[in-house]
Amino acid sequence: MSLSKRVKLRKNHQALSTSQIMLQVILACIPGIVALTVFFGWGTLINIIWLGLLALAFEALMLSLRQRQVIFYLKDYSALLTAVLLGICIPSTSPWWLGVIGIGFAIVIAKHLYGGLGQNLFNPAMVAYVVLLVAFPVEMTDWVVPRGSGTSPPDLLVSLQAFFSGDATGIDAYTGASAMDLFRNERGGMTITEFWQQNPAFGLLGGLGWEWVNLGFLFGGLWLLYKGIISWHIPFSMLAVMVLLAALFYDNGSSLSGGSPMMHLFSAGTMLGAFFIATDPVTAATTPRGKLIYGALIGITVYVIRVWGAYPDGIAFAVLLGNFAAPFIDYYTKLSVTQNEK
Amino acid sequence: MNELLLLLISAILVNNFVLVQFLGLCPFMGSSRKVETAIGMSAATTFVLTLSAMLSYLLYQYLLVPLELEWLRTITFIIVIAAIVNLTEIIMFATSPVLHRVLGIFLPLITSNCAVLGVALLNINAANSFSESVIFGFGAALGFSLVLVLFAALRERLELADVPLPFRGPAIAMITASLMSLSFMGFTGLI
Amino acid sequence: MSKSYQQLGTEGLWSNNPALVQLLGLCPLLAVSTSAVNALGLGLATIMVLSASNLCVSLVRHQVTETIRLPAFVLLIASFVTCAELLLQAYAYPLYLRIGIFIPLIVTNCTILGRAVSFASRNPVLPAFVDGIMMGLGFALVLLILGILREFFASGIIFANMELLLPFAENWEIRILPQYRGFLLAILPPGAFLFMGFLLALKNWIDNKMTVKQHNDEADILIRNTATK
Repeated sequence: MSLSKRVKLRKNHQALSTSQIMLQVILACIPGIVALTVFFGWGTLINIIWLGLLALAFEALMLSLRQRQVIFYLKDYSALLTAVLLGICIPSTSPWWLGVIGIGFAIVIAKHLYGGLGQNLFNPAMVAYVVLLVAFPVEMTDWVVPRGSGTSPPDLLVSLQAFFSGDATGIDAYTGASAMDLFRNERGGMTITEFWQQNPAFGLLGGLGWEWVNLGFLFGGLWLLYKGIISWHIPFSMLAVMVLLAALFYDNGSSLSGGSPMMHLFSAGTMLGAFFIATDPVTAATTPRGKLIYGALIGITVYVIRVWGAYPDGIAFAVLLGNFAAPFIDYYTKLSVTQNEK
Repeated sequence: MNELLLLLISAILVNNFVLVQFLGLCPFMGSSRKVETAIGMSAATTFVLTLSAMLSYLLYQYLLVPLELEWLRTITFIIVIAAIVNLTEIIMFATSPVLHRVLGIFLPLITSNCAVLGVALLNINAANSFSESVIFGFGAALGFSLVLVLFAALRERLELADVPLPFRGPAIAMITASLMSLSFMGFTGLI
Repeated sequence: MSKSYQQLGTEGLWSNNPALVQLLGLCPLLAVSTSAVNALGLGLATIMVLSASNLCVSLVRHQVTETIRLPAFVLLIASFVTCAELLLQAYAYPLYLRIGIFIPLIVTNCTILGRAVSFASRNPVLPAFVDGIMMGLGFALVLLILGILREFFASGIIFANMELLLPFAENWEIRILPQYRGFLLAILPPGAFLFMGFLLALKNWIDNKMTVKQHNDEADILIRNTATK
C-alpha cells in the first residue's frame, strides 16, 4: 500500500492527499499562533520560520542520504508541520541552536531512522520537545511574561537579538516562569481563589494569554473536525478525562487542590495537544475504541505529571507514552473486534 | 499502606527497572519479538521475582546476618534464585502441564535475568522491611512486564518500517528503547 | 574445534563481540557507562572474572558431569565475582560506591556463563583463558568507548576522576570543549540507549562496507584472471 493511500485510509477521507491534509493542519494552527504572537511577542514567528528552514534542510539531507526523491517528498509538507508544531511549543525566546538540536532529533532520529513519513513510531515534534526539555531545562522553561500583566512582550529587535546571541541574558527582563509553573511551585499553601487574585499571571479561565492561545487552538481544532481531517475520539476522551480528574481532585479549591477543570483546559498546551498532536494518525491508535483508550491514557498522564510530577507540563511526555502504548492498544482492540465478529 | 502504594508506583513508573535502572535488559531485547512471548515471559518473571525477593530477604536477615556472612550474599542469592526457578518448573510440570507448556521455556532464562538478583540486592541496600521487599519485588516485576509487553507490540509494527540498512535489527530497537525511556522521564519527581 | 589465538582475538574484539554482536551484558554496559572511570572499573572487573572463570571451568571440565554443570559454573562465577567485589571494596572504595550493585550483578552477565558453557567447558586451559581475556576485552572496550562518549557529550570533559581507580592518574582529566554548555541527556538513561543504538549502527555500517569491498576485490581478481587468460 502506498503511503499517501495509507494516510488517506487512516484519515477516512478519500478526497485529500497527504500534502493537502498537512497544509490544512498547518493553516488550522494560525489562530493559535496569532494569539501567541500577540501575548508573547515575535519569538514564536521567528521560531517557526527558522525551524521550518531547518526542517526542510534536514529532510532534504536525509532523503538524499537514503537515496529517495528529494523534491517529491519535500512537497508533502510533513517536515514543515513538524517544524510548526515544535516552533509553537518551545519558548518564544529560544536561541537559534536550540532549534538545530530539536529539529535534528525530530527529523533524523524520530522520523527517518524509522523509514520516514508514515512509519515513525513516535511523534517527531514531541520527541524533539522532550529531548530539549530534559537536556536544557533552563532555556526550555523560560517564558516571556504575557502582555497585560504589567509589561509588554519584547519587540522584534530584542527578540532577534535573543535569537542570535545564543543565550537568554539580554531578554531576562521580559521572562519568568509560566502560569502552570507558578501554580505548581509558588503556591505555598494558598487556596485557589487567593492565589488567582494575587497573581497577575492568571486570567479569566487559565494562565493569562494562555487562555487565548488555547481558545485559538480549540477553534483551529474544531475546524479540522468539521473538515473531517481528525476524528472526535481522541480529543474528546483526552479532554473529558482531564476534566474528570480535575473535578475529582478540585477539593473545593482548598490549598491542596489540583486546580480547576477550566484552568487545566485553558492553560499551557492542552488544546494544541488534544487537537493537533495526539491526533497524529501515524503514531496514534487506529481503531475507534482504541482511540478512546489512547486519548484517556494521555489525559490521565497529563494530569498526573502536571499535578504531581517535576516537569511543568505533561503533554509531550503523555503523547510519547501514548505513542509507546498505541501498538498494544491496537493489538488488543483489533483482537476483540475479530472475536466479536466470530 | 499509603507508603507501600507509593513504593509500588515508584518501582513501576518512576524507577522503572528496564528503562531507568537498566535491569533485565537481556530478556527485554531477547523475548520481545512477539506479544504472546512477551506476556509469557512477564508472567513467569513476575512469579519468580516476587518469590525470590521474599526468600532472599528471609535468608539474609535470619541466616547471613546472624552468622556475620553478609559478604556471601551474592552467592546465596543466586543459589536461591536458581532453586526457585527449578522448583517452579517441577511444581508447574506436576500440577499444570498446560501452564508448563506455555511458560516452561522462559523459566531457565530467568536465572540470568539481572532484575531478579538486582531486586534482592537493592532491597538490602535500601534496608527495606519484609513487606517493603515483597512490594518492591512485585512492583519491579510489574514495571518490567508493562514495558516488555508494550515494547513487543511496538516491535511488531517496527518490522514493517523501512529502516535504513545499518540501523536494522538491534540498533533501531535500542533507539526505540531510548525514546521509550525518554517518555518515562516525565514521571521524574512524582514521588 | 580448536581455534588459533588470532581467531580468538578477532572474535572477541569484533566479529563475535559480546556487547555489539551477541548483545549480552547490556545492563551493566548501559548503566555504568556514564563516565570513563566507571566504565574502566567495571570493564577491568569483568575481564578478571571472565578470564578466571574460563580458566577454572576448563580445569574442571572433565570432573563436572552434565547434570550439575550449570549450577557448578554459576557457583564458580559467583565466587569470582565476590572476590572482585571484595578487592574493589578494599582498594577503590569510592569507585565501588559509584558502580554500586552492578559489581555483584556481574554474576548475571550472560557473557560469562555463555563462554563457560559454549567454550571453556570444551577446550583446553590455555585457549579457554585467552578466550576469556579476549571476550572480556571486547566487552570492556565497548564499555569504555560508550563511557568516554557519554562523558564527553554530557560535560565536554573526558577522564575525570580517574584517580578513583588509578592512584597515579590525578591529572588525566582533559577538558576538550571549555565553553561547552553540556548535553545532559547523554548521561541520563535515554542517552545510554541512544548512544548504544548508534554504536551498533556504526558496527553494521563498517561490516557492510567491508563485505562490499571484499566482493569488489573478489570481482577484481576474477576480472584480472579472466583478462590474463
